[in-house]
Amino acid sequence: MKMKKSDMKLGYIALALAAVMPLQAADTIRLNSKPGSLKVRIEGTSNIHDWQVEGKLIGGYMEVGQNFPLEPGKAAEPGKVEAKAEAFIPVRSLRSIEKDGSPYSTKMDDIMFEKLRVTEFDRVVFRLSEMTLKEAAKSKDAPYVFEAKGEVVVGGVTNAITMPVSITPLGDNQLKVVGSVGLKMSDFKIEPPAPAIAAGLIKTGDPVTVKFEWLVVQKKAAAAAPAK
Amino acid sequence: MNETDSLDFNRRDFLRSGSLATLMTMLGGVELIAQTPSAPADADKPKGPRVKLGVIGIGPWGREILNTLARLPQAEVVAVCDTYAAMAKRGGTAAPGAAVTADYQTILDNKDITAVVIATPTHLHKDIAVAALKAGKHVYCEAPLAHTIEDARAIAQAAKALPGLVFQSGLQLRSDPQRHFLLPFIRSGALGKSVMARAQFHKKQTWRQTSPNPEREKAVNWRLDKEVSLGLVGEIGCHPIDQVTWYFNGLPKAATGFGSTILHQDGRTVPDTVQAVLEFPAGVNMIYHATLANSFDAEYEMLHGSDAAVMMRESKAWMFKEVDSPLLGWEVYARKETFYKETGIALVAGASKSTGDAPKEEVPFTNTPLSFALGNFLRNASDFTIAKKEFIESFGEDADALKEHLTKLARQPAAGFVEGYQATVIAIKTNEAIMTGKRVEIKPEMYELT
Repeated sequence: MKMKKSDMKLGYIALALAAVMPLQAADTIRLNSKPGSLKVRIEGTSNIHDWQVEGKLIGGYMEVGQNFPLEPGKAAEPGKVEAKAEAFIPVRSLRSIEKDGSPYSTKMDDIMFEKLRVTEFDRVVFRLSEMTLKEAAKSKDAPYVFEAKGEVVVGGVTNAITMPVSITPLGDNQLKVVGSVGLKMSDFKIEPPAPAIAAGLIKTGDPVTVKFEWLVVQKKAAAAAPAK
Repeated sequence: MNETDSLDFNRRDFLRSGSLATLMTMLGGVELIAQTPSAPADADKPKGPRVKLGVIGIGPWGREILNTLARLPQAEVVAVCDTYAAMAKRGGTAAPGAAVTADYQTILDNKDITAVVIATPTHLHKDIAVAALKAGKHVYCEAPLAHTIEDARAIAQAAKALPGLVFQSGLQLRSDPQRHFLLPFIRSGALGKSVMARAQFHKKQTWRQTSPNPEREKAVNWRLDKEVSLGLVGEIGCHPIDQVTWYFNGLPKAATGFGSTILHQDGRTVPDTVQAVLEFPAGVNMIYHATLANSFDAEYEMLHGSDAAVMMRESKAWMFKEVDSPLLGWEVYARKETFYKETGIALVAGASKSTGDAPKEEVPFTNTPLSFALGNFLRNASDFTIAKKEFIESFGEDADALKEHLTKLARQPAAGFVEGYQATVIAIKTNEAIMTGKRVEIKPEMYELT
């Protein structure tokens, strides 16, 4: 049977798509969490004084498309970018600290772990679902400003969040991801702690600010063994 | 024949404890109290995951350790070890459910056990501590670490080489909140210029334990054998001497000593009465005396300064100010008590006994220093174990970065291998001074761990 011209056109398109689609999946770049100067900081208030908690562990990965600005100064147009990420913070890595960074109190840490239901849920998890570039980097050292949407899971309770995120390419396929988001303990079914201390009842404020600085890097493939 | 405990509570202890505060306050002492009184050890639930541990050495102190661990919810003693069956059995009674063994290697081979407490005789610490560290266990090793500098150095270097493991030496006062409360107070210069330090241990007791046969006798009475024992200054004195080095923030450069066997003439080769002078920098000396022949005035440390002196006795402390010392301000409001003076027996004609309205002494509940030390050890051990696991889950295997992460991990206060090693060096050299009756130099390089 003789094929119509329109059928052939469709066929070419189908072939083209079939050829391209598997390649797109293989073209994403995976960057894994890297130890370094990263940290997560949670700031809150109480009727006695403000408080802060810090941790030095953020695990997880980011997967970005080929067009993602991985190198400093790379041109990029505002709009949705191809990106996927899942990051986690081990709850027991969080520690209360004084304003000068010295340890504050293990009693407060234990109260925090209990409120976060650590025995059942030992991680705080963030899953990125959508990322939009708002502003390209103004210079080689400057960050790219994104809006990130996703969900965060704390103590087994999930909430959707939107937050601004700045990403600075550091070279060698390394990215520094910096962000900040306001949350409420009650949104995660966490009653703000009110521990009874000798001086009286301390009442913790519901809103907290979570700030993070995360380093991710594409792992270099191992060098091929020399031929015998 | 049952072996007697050398730590039996006796009538002297009972009588003594009733007059401590009386004695202190009548001398015009202002009591120094940590602001946050420590809570009782019977918390409802463990502070963090339980730590499975083995206790090696179930003599009197090993049993004290087991009794203390029984009150710490984070402790889960799963094995006890002693080479002497009767001791091991008593350990099993003190830790119900724990496996009882005569071979410490079975504890080290147990992958579920993450930490060990070593309370064997001092001269047996080294092999066990080094093996435990190599087996990947967190280690609490009683002080003094060893009876020779060579052995102490081997333990400390093994601990230093494994920063991913917690090594804590049994200088328990380094974990006591009351002592930590005093540290900034003293270091801030509240005492004025450092003048001298004193410490004493007076307790009439034999130290000799009974035993069924000569072989067991030699093993159980190791403390009385100069070949393996550091005597009073090593076994007891290492604690107050370490406190003074901590508060003065300095290490002694020499020690002079004397030792005599006054009361217990039973063939022992370790003196039952010792005096020592330790030379600290800038002419500040520490005098230490200890005896097993008399109990008067028991045990305490004193730091003397040109503006005030501080006495530390058990978990209490008092400040005695000089009349011409500057006002700190708070002492105006501090608790002071006055009691009718009553010390010793007065042999005075016509004397009448008058007690007055002596207020009832409030003794706030406090944990023992051993409880704080073991509690901090357990907390540090579980924090380290968790931190290592979480690091690897977050970043994968990266030995250098993991080492840096663990080195920077905040710890509960405790004496580590450096403090344990240095305190052991001081104990060994001071004992040498006592045994020879000479001045013995402690060179700076002896304190270094190369």
